[in-house]
Amino acid sequence: MSAGSAAVGDNPPAASGPAAAIAAQRVGKSFGGVEALRAASFAARPGEVHALVGENGAGKSTLIKIMGGRLAPDSGTLLLDGRSVRFAGPAEAARRGIGTVFQELTLLPWMSVAENLLIGREPRAALGLIRRAALAPEAEAVLAGLGITHIDPRALAAEISLAERQIIEIARVILRVPRILLLDEPSSSLVEREVTWLFARIRELRAAGTAIVFTSHRWNEITSIADRITIFRNGAEVGTFSGIDEAEAITLMTGRRVEARYPALPAAPAAERPAFELAGATLGATQDGAPGFGFSLAWGEILGVGGLAGQGHRELFLGLFGAPPFRRSAIRVDGRPVRIARPADAIHAGLGIALVPEDRKSEGLLLPLPVRDNLTLPILSRLSIGGVIRGGAERRMTREIITSLGIRTPSAAQPVGALSGGNQQKVLVGRWLLAESRILLLYDVTRGVDIATKHELYELMARLAGEGRAILFYSSDTEELARLCHRVLVLRQGRIAASLAPPALDAEAIVAAAMREAPPPAAHAA
Amino acid sequence: MQNKLARRTLLAASGAGLIAAARPIRARAAAKVKIALSNSYIGNKWRIEMENLYKAALEMEPYKSQVDGTWFNSGNNVSEESQQIAGLIGERVDAILVDAASPTGLNGILGQANARGILVVSYDNVVTAPSAIKVNTDQFAFGKQLAEFLVKKLNGHGNVIMVTGVAGTFVDQQRNAGADSIWKANSGIKVVNRYTGMWDSATAERNTAAILPSLPKIDGIWCQGGTDGVLKAFIAAKRTPLPPTAGEAENGFRKFMMPAGYMGQHVDGLSIGQPPYLVLVSLELARRILNKTYPRKNITIPFPFVTSETVKVGETVFPNLPDSFFADFTDSGPNATVKICVDAALTGKPCPGSLAVHLPAA
Amino acid sequence: MPRESPDLAPAGAPDDEPAGTRRPRAAHIIGQNIGLILALSILLVSVVVFTGLFAFEQRRLPGNFEITSSVNNTMPLALAASGQTLVVLTRGIDLSVGGVIDLTNALAAIFLAGSVLHMIVVSALILLVGAAAGLLNGLLVGLGRLQPIVVTLATLSIFQGLAIRVLPQPGGSVPTGYTAVLVNPNAPSALLFVGLAVLGWMALRRSRLGVAIFAIGNDEQAAITLGIRAQRTKIIAYTLSGVLYAAGGLFLAASATSGDATTGDVYTLTSIVAVVLGGVSLFGGRGSAIGAIGGAFITTMIVNILFFAHIDPLYQSFYEGLFLVIAVVLGAAVGRLARRAR
Repeated sequence: MSAGSAAVGDNPPAASGPAAAIAAQRVGKSFGGVEALRAASFAARPGEVHALVGENGAGKSTLIKIMGGRLAPDSGTLLLDGRSVRFAGPAEAARRGIGTVFQELTLLPWMSVAENLLIGREPRAALGLIRRAALAPEAEAVLAGLGITHIDPRALAAEISLAERQIIEIARVILRVPRILLLDEPSSSLVEREVTWLFARIRELRAAGTAIVFTSHRWNEITSIADRITIFRNGAEVGTFSGIDEAEAITLMTGRRVEARYPALPAAPAAERPAFELAGATLGATQDGAPGFGFSLAWGEILGVGGLAGQGHRELFLGLFGAPPFRRSAIRVDGRPVRIARPADAIHAGLGIALVPEDRKSEGLLLPLPVRDNLTLPILSRLSIGGVIRGGAERRMTREIITSLGIRTPSAAQPVGALSGGNQQKVLVGRWLLAESRILLLYDVTRGVDIATKHELYELMARLAGEGRAILFYSSDTEELARLCHRVLVLRQGRIAASLAPPALDAEAIVAAAMREAPPPAAHAA
Repeated sequence: MQNKLARRTLLAASGAGLIAAARPIRARAAAKVKIALSNSYIGNKWRIEMENLYKAALEMEPYKSQVDGTWFNSGNNVSEESQQIAGLIGERVDAILVDAASPTGLNGILGQANARGILVVSYDNVVTAPSAIKVNTDQFAFGKQLAEFLVKKLNGHGNVIMVTGVAGTFVDQQRNAGADSIWKANSGIKVVNRYTGMWDSATAERNTAAILPSLPKIDGIWCQGGTDGVLKAFIAAKRTPLPPTAGEAENGFRKFMMPAGYMGQHVDGLSIGQPPYLVLVSLELARRILNKTYPRKNITIPFPFVTSETVKVGETVFPNLPDSFFADFTDSGPNATVKICVDAALTGKPCPGSLAVHLPAA
Repeated sequence: MPRESPDLAPAGAPDDEPAGTRRPRAAHIIGQNIGLILALSILLVSVVVFTGLFAFEQRRLPGNFEITSSVNNTMPLALAASGQTLVVLTRGIDLSVGGVIDLTNALAAIFLAGSVLHMIVVSALILLVGAAAGLLNGLLVGLGRLQPIVVTLATLSIFQGLAIRVLPQPGGSVPTGYTAVLVNPNAPSALLFVGLAVLGWMALRRSRLGVAIFAIGNDEQAAITLGIRAQRTKIIAYTLSGVLYAAGGLFLAASATSGDATTGDVYTLTSIVAVVLGGVSLFGGRGSAIGAIGGAFITTMIVNILFFAHIDPLYQSFYEGLFLVIAVVLGAAVGRLARRAR
């Protein structure tokens, strides 16, 4: 990620563009007393790519949902081609030429890719009956037309990867040739080459005059494709810009200036007694008989794990936490051998895992329950006498952790589901700190988290390492790994392909190690 | 490995169980007639006693040497009972005894049995199929006799409650109609409430307890079933001494009728029951029709009944057996239809000697 | 339009799955219909076991009578299970099956007797009564947004109550001609109706309504986003299932040759059993009415097998339950294996 590029977009926007294809005027929307949008205005023209940026909770998704017909505004007007409209639902919006990829995926898991892709426009025979045999070939052809050939149209949606699902989701909308395309974080689960594909499609649509609105947390993506950027803060727009640099944008998004993007790391720890050692590990992708791998992690160290998606990271983290896909191997914690067959073993050994789930519906957090219960879940036995929870102690401990981690919540009684993604991550980390986990396994905790909260998470990690905790940290953001970790291991095909430490450690080196000996026809990805 | 072994053991064990249970229930003999019992339901004491009597009879003469008998249950599921009867037709039995899950639901398949020359004897919950021979008691008379007893005891004046049975059944409807015919003729009797006991002591007790506080003084109880439950509810509500009671043949009810009383209370009562030995009468009828010593015709047998004066410990009441036991598994008195020992009803084991079932004169 | 960037070529497959490898078509078909295939396999095995037992016991093969009585006896359940499938696919469950069958069975016993035209008209009216009962469920579940289990538990009692009102005690009669058409006792011609149900299912599977039913069972929110009218779809699904239950009630009356307002009760549970045996997911969105019909036939074969194995009657329910558990566990295990084989 290149910091702070000032040039925005590859097409300069027309100075006096045509009338807005879609516009929101002073739109308001609240949920149970919380205002998500307050008199927000926004407009997108035909033939432009318009990025919506802002912190989580700034109202971007709510605006997309209103424009996509999923939510009705409480106040204000929605204009389509200059005329006021009210949509009864997403289907009506779609009929009016608005195609939306919502943040929550809408693929039907137990139906095939072809059925999902062609739903509502299936090939039909006499009596209007669907020609089921023709579904897969037609889907195949349609996908090929969009440049997608690696996804099997006969597979169930539940069987393909998250990224593939996202691609099908996008393809389904593009297929219907929308005049207005709304994309809510379309790239959050995509890797670079898939993003490249997406942007190529977006450019095609732009050339054909489609108005495209998208949200993203990745600044380099925004600068590479957007013609204009509208920044949102606290449920309203701050302004629309044709060119703005990242630091300025962050200032506008957060309302304060973010000085350094990465905190100073505590000094690299002395390698005396390692906190955690793994040896002889093998992951699913490796062939049988391949030698196992291992690594060690020192107290006070942040050890990064990087590499392309799907190279075994998830299995590694879940395996260390006792989940089945990881074939067990020799593990030592603080020099003593331990056996980790299930999460309880890992907790007992002083390990805690914070994991951002792939479908963003959380893994490990009980969303409807309050922050407090989520924090104290694993230590309830310690907190209770004869099965009765000591309410006072529980309240004190949760208050402390909320303050020290800077969890932004109105109260400890707030349901975790109502917090922003980044703050949910902090609750997970806080839970393991309360459980006295001295070794933290952080799996992609920064994904989908807004820039300001990301920054807070970075500082938190640096602080925890400074306190002597050991952190194993996976991120899909190589820049983050390079700037935040003492060392970085690069996984490839279930093995450690490289171990990088300063001065050899930088984002380019991680990418290079990840790509080396990558699948043969990857030349174009360079 | 251990797991696999355990699984295999489990499989073997269940296999063995299947084989053990599949051991033929009967021994084949050339001269015997094949008679099968299709019992719709084995979920209450009455049906268990009934089936036990049947099993015991098969081990007693003359049935032991003349009848090759089997029995089946179907969980009160008409289609399952129908499927089992189809199986019996496939097995080409000579006669099928049916206690039906539905009076009408089996008519189709029983008609087919008849068309294939199989004798169908239906008893207790009888079927309406015209081709089936019916063996039963007169349910209208049941209701009537209970009501007459109360009229006599109350000298034609007083408040009576009626505890009815399972609505929608023929038996319930007939018993109530029998009682109503008597009330109509005796205007001094006032039926102050009528509610269901579902032929179940626990339900009858619960419903009675719920309704009793709203009722005036009760002079007589008319109860189709669950009689001991009704009396226990009266005791719990301190409505003692207990009024004259006309009820079913629960052992618990009859305990109250003993001179010594039960739970500190004595009841002046009449106990009439639907006798479980209907199955023995049906078995005897099938045997006689098949060896052509009795005409093909429906029969109705008299109810066995006892009063507080005639109840006899060890014969028609059993202080050591549970309240829910049906004490009318055997008839009593000089003109008894059938007399059989209590072991037969309790365990299905044969009694000493042979079994004599007296059918009405042909 | 020339593309500005290369395709998302197989080589670049961002996942661990090696580029370009696709499972063969047959693997997809088997994997996606594993429940149905398993149900039909269990049915086949149970038919073979029954035939073997019967031949061993009776020294002959099962003949026309055995086949006909098994088919005729299964018809009401096969229809009830088909209806239950429609509801279960929408991620619902219908406990009112028994009540609808009670009611339609009672109506049939009372009103059916008459001329051929009369019987046709009355049958159609009874199917409409079933549709109305289903519509009531559908309106409460769809528009009322109430939980199907609660709604249908309540309507079960309502329909049972109505049935008792219609036919206070067992009776009535069904003309022999009617019985001969629906459940001919002399030949398994009722299989024709099974064939019709299968054809109807295949048509539904290929219709807009079928797609909508599957879609809302998969993910109701997503389906709504995709423009599927969830409420209307549910209402139609419940109504159609009501028609199928009513057809079950007609078949029940035809094979009993008269009516009983309580004999339908068992179909609430047995229809769910048949649906489970048929590999239909109780979580909705997956399954086939063909499997459920197979499940209905399996339950009949289990009764037959236990009968001819001369299982002690006291153990009969035990073994019926055992076979059900084995079938369900087997289904889950095979499903898991199939997924792992991927």
